[in-house]
Parts: sequence; C-alpha cells; structure tokens
Amino acid sequence: MLQGALAGLAAGGLYAVLAVCLTLMSRLVRVVNFAQSATGMFGCYVAVYLSVHAGLPTWAATVVGILLGGALSALLGWIISTWLAEADIGTRSAVTVAVLLLLISLSFILFGNKPQPFHPILDGPAFSVNGVVVSQVTVVTVVLSVAIAVGCRALLGRTSFGLELRALSERPTTAELMGIPAKPLAVAVWAVTGLLSTLVISIVAPSQSNDATSLSMLVVPAAAAALLGGFRRLDLAVVGGLVLGMAQGAVAQVDSLSVVRYFLPFLVIVGLLLWSQRKEVWDVAR
Amino acid sequence: MRKIMRSVAVAAAVTLVAAGCADSGGGSGSGSGPIVVGSVNALSGAATFPEASAAAKAVFDAANASGGVNGRQIQYKALDDKGDPAAAATAAREVVGADNAVALVGSSSLIECEINNKYYEQQKILSISGIGVDPACFNSPNISPANVGPYHDMTLTLLYGSEVLKLDNICALLEIAGNTLPSYQAAIDEWTKITGKKLTYLDATVPYGGSDYTSYIVKARSAGCKAITVNPVEPDSIGQLKAAAAQGWNDVTWLLLTSVYSENYAKAVSNAGAGVYVPAEFYPFTDAASSQNKEWRELMTKNNIPLTSFSQGGYLAAKYFLQVIKGIQGDINRESVTKALQEMQPITDPMVGTPYVFGKGKTHHDNTAGWPIKLTTGSNKWELAADDWLRIPKN
Amino acid sequence: MSRAESGPLTRFGVPLVVTGAAIVVGYLFSVGLDGYFVYLGMSAIVAGIALLGLGVVTGSAGMVSLCQLTFAAVGAWVVSGLNRIGAPGGFLVWLVCGGIAAGLVGVLVGLPALRLRGINLAVVTLGLAAAADLTLVQIQFPGTVDGVSVERPESFSDDRGYFWLGTIVLALCCLLVHFLRRTRWGSGWQAVAFSERGTAAAGASVRTSKLSAFAVSAALGGVAGGLLTGQVGLAFPASFTAMQSLALYVLAIMSGAHLIDMAVFGAVLWVAVPELLKRWGVPQDWGFVVFGLLGTHALTTGGNLGTAVRELWRRRSKEAAGVELTAPPAEVDVPPPGEPVLVVRDLSVNFGEVKALSGVHLAVPSNGVLGVIGPNGAGKSTLVDIISGFLPQATGAVELDGRSLNGLSPTRRARAGLRRTFQQDRVPAGLTVGAYVRFVARRRLSSSEITEALEFFGCPPARTPLRRVDVGARRLVEVVGHLLAKPKVLLLDEPAAGLPHEEHVALGARLRQVPARFGVSVLLIEHDLDLVRSVCDTITVLDFGQVLASGPQAEVLANPEVLKAYMGETELL
Repeated sequence: MLQGALAGLAAGGLYAVLAVCLTLMSRLVRVVNFAQSATGMFGCYVAVYLSVHAGLPTWAATVVGILLGGALSALLGWIISTWLAEADIGTRSAVTVAVLLLLISLSFILFGNKPQPFHPILDGPAFSVNGVVVSQVTVVTVVLSVAIAVGCRALLGRTSFGLELRALSERPTTAELMGIPAKPLAVAVWAVTGLLSTLVISIVAPSQSNDATSLSMLVVPAAAAALLGGFRRLDLAVVGGLVLGMAQGAVAQVDSLSVVRYFLPFLVIVGLLLWSQRKEVWDVAR
Repeated sequence: MRKIMRSVAVAAAVTLVAAGCADSGGGSGSGSGPIVVGSVNALSGAATFPEASAAAKAVFDAANASGGVNGRQIQYKALDDKGDPAAAATAAREVVGADNAVALVGSSSLIECEINNKYYEQQKILSISGIGVDPACFNSPNISPANVGPYHDMTLTLLYGSEVLKLDNICALLEIAGNTLPSYQAAIDEWTKITGKKLTYLDATVPYGGSDYTSYIVKARSAGCKAITVNPVEPDSIGQLKAAAAQGWNDVTWLLLTSVYSENYAKAVSNAGAGVYVPAEFYPFTDAASSQNKEWRELMTKNNIPLTSFSQGGYLAAKYFLQVIKGIQGDINRESVTKALQEMQPITDPMVGTPYVFGKGKTHHDNTAGWPIKLTTGSNKWELAADDWLRIPKN
Repeated sequence: MSRAESGPLTRFGVPLVVTGAAIVVGYLFSVGLDGYFVYLGMSAIVAGIALLGLGVVTGSAGMVSLCQLTFAAVGAWVVSGLNRIGAPGGFLVWLVCGGIAAGLVGVLVGLPALRLRGINLAVVTLGLAAAADLTLVQIQFPGTVDGVSVERPESFSDDRGYFWLGTIVLALCCLLVHFLRRTRWGSGWQAVAFSERGTAAAGASVRTSKLSAFAVSAALGGVAGGLLTGQVGLAFPASFTAMQSLALYVLAIMSGAHLIDMAVFGAVLWVAVPELLKRWGVPQDWGFVVFGLLGTHALTTGGNLGTAVRELWRRRSKEAAGVELTAPPAEVDVPPPGEPVLVVRDLSVNFGEVKALSGVHLAVPSNGVLGVIGPNGAGKSTLVDIISGFLPQATGAVELDGRSLNGLSPTRRARAGLRRTFQQDRVPAGLTVGAYVRFVARRRLSSSEITEALEFFGCPPARTPLRRVDVGARRLVEVVGHLLAKPKVLLLDEPAAGLPHEEHVALGARLRQVPARFGVSVLLIEHDLDLVRSVCDTITVLDFGQVLASGPQAEVLANPEVLKAYMGETELL
C-alpha cells in the first residue's frame, strides 16, 4: 500500500497545483474553470509542436508554450469579465465547459491524436523510500504545489496587490468605486493561473500518458481536491490533491478495487459535499 | 405547443433537404457505372486510424488511372465512425444500404466489426478490413481482415519473449476495452499450450487511456516481473514506459504489439528499458531498403500517406480485393463479388507471412505470422530483430 | 381583455393533437425517407430525448449537469441486462425500467449535490461522467461480451419501424415534459432557477424542486440510452463518453433546450452538423469546435437559438405590462384588530462583531396591519429574514398563533402559514402570472378567484408571461400569490418599491383592506411614511437593530425620540 501511495504522489502534486489554481479562480474571479487543465494541455502541445516542427530548443519551446497557456487563459478571462461581469458563478463556469470541449477538439484537429514526442524537462528517479523510487517529477510537483500555495497566500495576505484582489472578490462594486481596476486584475488572475497550470502540465506531461483528453480531464480530481478546501482554502486544496493522488495510487495496488480508483475523485467530491452541508445555509444573493 | 409543430416542420425541412443531397451518390447496381466500394473507419475523435482507408484509396486510384476493372471505375467511399457506435452503424447503412456498395475494403476502426457484422450478414456483403481490432473482426463469417490481429500478435510476442529472448517471469498488463479479455486470454492460453509456460502475473485492470501508470508498474515490479507484455495504444504505452523509467526500472523488457509500431512512437520513447519487442503484423515498414515493401512504399510516398502498419493493411486489403474482382467473369455486383471472395485461391504477398484467403469459414483468424522488430533505449528508431517470419506453430 | 387563463380544452387538447400529428409525421418519415436517413433520424431522436432531459435540468431549473450520457448508460445497461437475462415484458417494458433506474441514480447522485447552491452539481456530474467513462470501458455492458444483441419489439423490428417507435417515444416524452412543467414541480423548477429563497418562501422545498428536475432529466437520459441500445443492438461505452456529455450540455445551452421545440431542433443539429461536415469533407472534430464556439457565444450573450427565434416570431407585443391602480377599491368593513397572531420575543442576531438586531419584541394583531419603519440599516429586512427562517443562527422566539416556529426551515414556516415577500424581484420570468400565482398559493384555486385578486391589485391578466411584466407589477403579483395562499400572517418587505409614487396611496388603500378581504394579518415594512400612515393601526420603529418605539400610529409618530433618532428630516412628517 505504501508503495502505491508513494507512486501516486506525482499525480497528487499535479492535482494539488491544479487545485490551487481552481481555488484561486473561484475565490478571486468567481469561476470554476473547467478548462483549467485543458488550457495547460493546449500550451504544452503547442510547445511540442514548436520544438518538433519549428526546431526550437526544448526549453524555449516550453517557455513559449507556457506563455501561450497564460495568454489563452487571459483571453478567456477577458471574454468572461467583459460580457459576463455581473453573471453568477454558474453561468461563468458554464462558459469554461464550452471552452473545454472546444480546446480538446481543436487539439485533435491541430495536433492529431498520436502521442506527442515530449522531451522531458525532468527525468529519472530522485531517491527511493522502502524500495519505491520517488521520481524527480514527483519531488518537483509536490514542492511546486506547496510553494505556489504559500506564495499565493503571502501575496494575498501581505501585499497591497493582494488586498485589492480580495477587495475585488468580496466587494466588487465597492472596489470598483474605490478605483480598483476590476477587469485588468481579473484578467491577470486568469493569466497567472493559466501560466501555472501550463507550467505544471509541461513538467508532468512528458512523464505520463499525455493525450489531450486525459490531460484535460485532470480537472476532475483537481476539483475534488479544491473542494476539500471548499474552493476557499489553499492549504486544504494542496493537502486534498496530495492525499487524493496517494489514495489512488494505493487503491491501484488491489486488483479488486480497480474500479473504485476511477470513482475516488467522485466519491471524495460527494463525501465532502455531504460533510460541508450538514446545515442548510442561505446565501445573500439568491 | 405550436412550437412543437414548428420544430417538426424545421426538422422535416432539414431532413428532406439532406435526403435530396443523398441521391447524388449514385448506385452501382450493374452495367457500366462505377463500382462502389466502401469502408468504415475511425477518422475523428480520440483515436483515429485514417491511413488504412487512405492507402486503399491510393490503390484504387492507381487502378482507375490505368483503366479501372473491366472498364469500370472504382468509387471508394471512406466513412467516419467517430469512434461512436451509432455513427458506425449509420455509416454502414449509408455505404451498404444507400450507396449499394459491392464490398467493404480497408476499414479500420475499433468498434466497427462488432457493431456491423450482423448487418453485413443480413445484407450479404463481405468486408476485407484493413486493420481489424475487436474480436468480431476475426470470428464472424462476413469479415476477414488483412492483418494478423492483436490476439495472434500477443501469442507471437509472448513466443518471441520466451522462446527467442529466453525470458522468464513474463507478466501481462492488459488494457481491456470492450469484450476483448476472453480473446486475449485465449491468446495467452495458446502460448501456454505451445510452450508449457505460464505468466508470472496477469493484471487485467490496467485502465485504457489512464493518465498515470506508476502504480501498475510498481505493482508489476514488486511481483518480480522481468518482462511485461501489454496490449496498449500508443499514448498508454508511452505512459507506461515513462512510469517505469521514472521508477528507475531499466532492465524490464517490453513485449508489445503492432499497435505501437510507428515512427512517432519511436521518437517519443526516450527510455525503452531493456528494449521494446514487437512482432510486426506486416513486413516492417521501417526497413527502408526492403524489396518486400517497395511497391507499397512508392505508392504511399507518392500520395503523401504516412508509412505505418495501418497503411500497409489498407493497401493489402485493396490489392487482394482488386486481384479477386479482376477474375470475375460477367457483371461485378455484390453477389458476384461475394461469391468470388468466398471461392478465391489464397494470395501470397511478400508483405505478410501467411497467404490471404477469404473463403467460406465462419471465422477468419488464419493470419499467424509476424516479423520481430525492436526498439532500444536511445536509438529512437525501430530495427529488425530477425530475418524471417515468426510463426505460431500449428498444433 | 380577458384575465382568465385558457380553458382545459385548449390546455389539454392542443398538446395531444400536436403529439398525434407528430406521430403521424414520424410514420410518414419512416416510410418515406431513404433508409440511411431513417437510421440517422434515429440518432437524432435519441439525442432529442437526452436534450429534453437536459432542458429540464439546465434550462428550466438552471443547474449545470454534465453527465447526461452517464444516465443514458444506466438506461442502456438496464435494457441490455434485462435483454441478456431474457426478462419478461419485452423491449418497451425494459425501456421504462431503464428510465426509472436512471432516474433513481439521478436521485442518488443529486441528493448530496443539490443542497448547496453554486457550481457543485457541475463538479459532481463531471466527476461522475469521467469515472463512469473509465469504468464502463473496463466492465462493459451485459451481453456485449457474448454478442447478445437487444431484441427490438416485434412490430418495430426493422429500421423503419424502429424509427417510428422512436418518434412515438420522443413525442410521448415531449408531452410528459410539457405537462410536468405545468404542475407544481414544473413551476418549482422555474422558481428554483430564478431564486432559491423565493422558492422556499412560497412553501416549496428547494431540494425537492431541484431533485425532481434532476431525476426527470436523468430518467429521460435513461430512456435515450435504452433506445440507443435498441438502435445499435449492443451497448458500447463509446456512446456514452464524458466528451459527448459535455457536447450535449453545450448544445442544450446553445439551442435553449428548455423549450421543447428547441430540444428537438438541437437534436437535428446534433446529427445535421456532423452530416454536413461530412458532405463538405471537413473533419468531424470541427463539429465540437463549432458547438463549443456557439455555446460560448450563447452563454456570453445570454441568449440562445430558442429565444432568438421566439423574438422574431412574436416581435409584436413587446411592451411590458404594468400596474393599473387608478380607481379606489370598493369599500369593505374593516374589523378592529384582535389578539396577536404573530409574536416575536427577544430576537437578536450578530453578523460577526456587528449586532444587527438585539432584543426585538413585536406582535402582529390578527386582522391588523403592523407597520415596521426605521432608517436604512435599522435591521428591517434582517427582521423579516429571521422571522421567515432564513437566518437560523438568530436567537429569540417566533410564535405563530401560539405555536413556536423556532428551528423550522423557511419552507416549513411558509407551510405553517407565515409568508413573506422580498424587496428584490424574486419572481421567475419563465412562468405566466397565473402559473406563478398557483405555484405560490399552494392550494386549488378557481380561475375567478385568481382573476378577482389580480384585478383588485391592478395586476396584468393571468395568462401574461411574467417576462413581460414590469418589476413593480411583479412585486404585486408576488403579493397576490402569497395572499391567495391564505396564510395567517404575511410579511411584506417594501411592496411599493418599484411603483410610481402616485400609486403608493392607491396600494395603501388596498393593503388596508387585506385583513378584511383575505383574512390575512400583515406586517408591513415600508419606507414611504404616507403609505404606512394610511395602512397601519400600530407601528414599531427600529433603529440600530433595537425597538425605539412601538404602539398605536399616532402615539408612535408623535414620539419625540422617534422624531429625533429616526426621521432627521422632519418635513417628511
């Protein structure tokens, strides 16, 4: 079991980073971005395309891909904050569902569905515990997820930029009246989460199967992780991601539980919802 | 409720317009019109195999350019099933029912045989699949693929691993999609029957299209496996190889199937452990100098069709078909084509190790030879691993 | 203009006739069309039923459901399973079983997901779709492994017959949805999409409304899956992928599938777009790109094909209906106020450090109108929220007719006879005035009863769609609905807001008659002192969350404390 759990840690780190992005989005720009990992996938695919067909060195292509992922996300953010500034979170999130569908299909068209020759940025084992090797990718994603969460927390809590962001998310009208530029800030948040998710997918994609659908559907376990923090708390999102990855790895060790593995994110989501809703609470808006 | 009325009217209009378009297809009942040949293929969606039908089309185009068959042109219709069962059934009805095709040639799809084999029986039409995958391609009376198929291929790869490479502790990780488990199990049993050896370990729960295979790899490693046979699609296999590499498991031998035999795959693999071995279902296309593939290679290159096993399958299916219908005396229609295929003499081609025959059998699973090839760490290209066909011994 | 709704003959007859006509057209198609198009049409029918279901859950009830095809898979599973074991009854019975099973799964999935609002259902359903996708590939449908194909009913066994069967099933499903939407459930779906608080305040359970929408949608999905299994013969996981569920959802949004005709039209698009792409030689993957773009466009502009078409259809009659409150109402004897019917004791609530209300006492006399006034931020609306149960963290006692309401949910309080209206517009635009009033009243009403009450308050006629009623009139329609529910007490939160000032007095004259005419006691929160003065016998004044003064009108308004602390602008008096 322990072996399996450690083996699942790489996936856990990936979930954690994506969960942090989802949480940031939900908190700061009122959207559950179902296209979060699809944007990352698209950026990565462009990077591979550039390195194979335009002959760019791997690192340069990766940087361009990450920037593109950020730009794509920013574009989506711009669309949403222009036309759906006042809409509720449901409508805003529904747009990202459409975008998820669009990005997957578009990547089939542009890049085909054959495996992409990803050049690993990181490769091979880092160290081993009890005979199970922990890969470099695992170490980096886990560290990255913690670092991003801590960084964002510091940014939001300690800086005036963070204060503006929080003001914007909690009292949007007041914030706008105070002259905080709502739209540019929102687009910036979109861009940053786009950059982060493309970055982490660029790191992980070369080390696992990386077809467009499975990369895009990473948003499901990530959402489960983010839900642990109620789409509010970054620390719990990270914990959720890591635990979910390890649990999936552990369950995969038992043949009879293999179907359970698929349902783990779903079960986690349902369980957390039941727990978080012991009492009926009425929000102000509706 | 007036709305419903209106919508029905709209629907009717759309459908009727579309129906009007359909008639332009033209039939091939008899006489001097074109001979309609169809195929049902996975051309879009998450897993696509466009090369088989493209190759078949190239063969037919070449035949048309040199005067056609008995003076008649061949009209080849390659339809998309999108990996969707309903679309696969619809496509078959379009080409068989509406366009009145004489036969299906060069189909390559993951689900098409399973869904349409009964319909083909009903319509008394035969299908020479380019690449058959699902079990129904090999065990139904009206379908006979040009390829070996993943099941015999699995027996072959196990034979190669245990008998040629002399590996022991072979394990199997099976990605079961659809009803393929019994067929793979039968293939493994056949290997056991021939060699008397057993698998160390079999895991049939490996997900198809999963994202991270590390835990399955860790499990196999701790079970003491030295070699692993998998029935993967390319992306999954790459994921598995990468998971093993990330675990530092560099002495594992991979006994895989033709499904991973592509140049893309070779480029994408940076660490192949102790080597990836595949019994190629057709003469290895990566052997550029070979005479066996010369004709095929030239035609494909001319038509800008990727050089893959799929295009080999489609090419061969079309060639077999042409050869058979050229021998037909009298009108070429569905009936005469079916009769000719059922009564044909075996055709030998240097691209395959077993002669092809359609015949009247209830099943068509007689192609039993593969050509071993290998992919080693760092080479990023496939190399021949033998100088003759590897065959499944007849009991 | 007649204020009555259409009679039962039109209400039941027209849909039945249309359904019959649709079945006849389906028959004509099934014999007249080319075999290939019959088969293609079958795919459209399957998609149509699934879209109809999505229309209920996303269109009517406003929830995001991303696993419609997973429910279809449940239906397919049941049908192929029953076929495999040779269950009695034949295909049609299996189909119904499939629908029911999918509905039950929907309830199971929906139960945890539907209590909290927001986007949770989308997360849950996407998770389910992804998990089911992988699982189905691994475990497969019954009968697939041994190739036992599903037997179609004997009289519909060939493709043409089956297509006709499909049209019949589709037409029946449309009819079912049409009538369901006219029931309490259906009104509940519309209400919950627009406002959960409004739904609860009308005595309808938010959870039941959402769950019934989700279950109906899932059941329709199940029927679609069962039909698909009959069409193809075998069920395959590839028919039920998460990608296709997503695409179907986007299509539902884009076409406006809550309108029955648009669900059918969406289904035509579902097959026509790929078909046209094929004819034009464009790769099929562009189909989903097109859906994605159109879906994004529909969502960002807030419109969809359905509403766009309807706008074109009835460009006339666009002006909004308003309130006509000119003539004074007929005189009635106003009985003197009696014993207190609603008693509130020691009510307090804190929001963090802020004491929003502390130690509030008040009593609403039976057959009377109690006015609650106070400056902005005095806690008037908070008071209504607490009494009606929307702030369960508040302390203190609320008694209705001697019975404690503490601990009851808003829904239960509404059913116990304590109703409220809202300051903001919480009237779902998708219903007609009459349907909304019936929904809120929660009892059997005659048309004349509704017409009379609407006329009394100068509201637009019952058959007017609320979409075309202006905000001020909507608020009065809300009041009418709650009055017709015959509660013991109705809490009115600034009912005159949104009306032109000259109509305030006219409204006041009517409110004054409410206890006599409807037998309902009223707690009136109002800004407009003229209105309060003309209506209320007794007044309670709130300031900074505390009762400043309470008693007969003249006494309270003359209180210098009130003058000083509350008014500031003495000229208002």
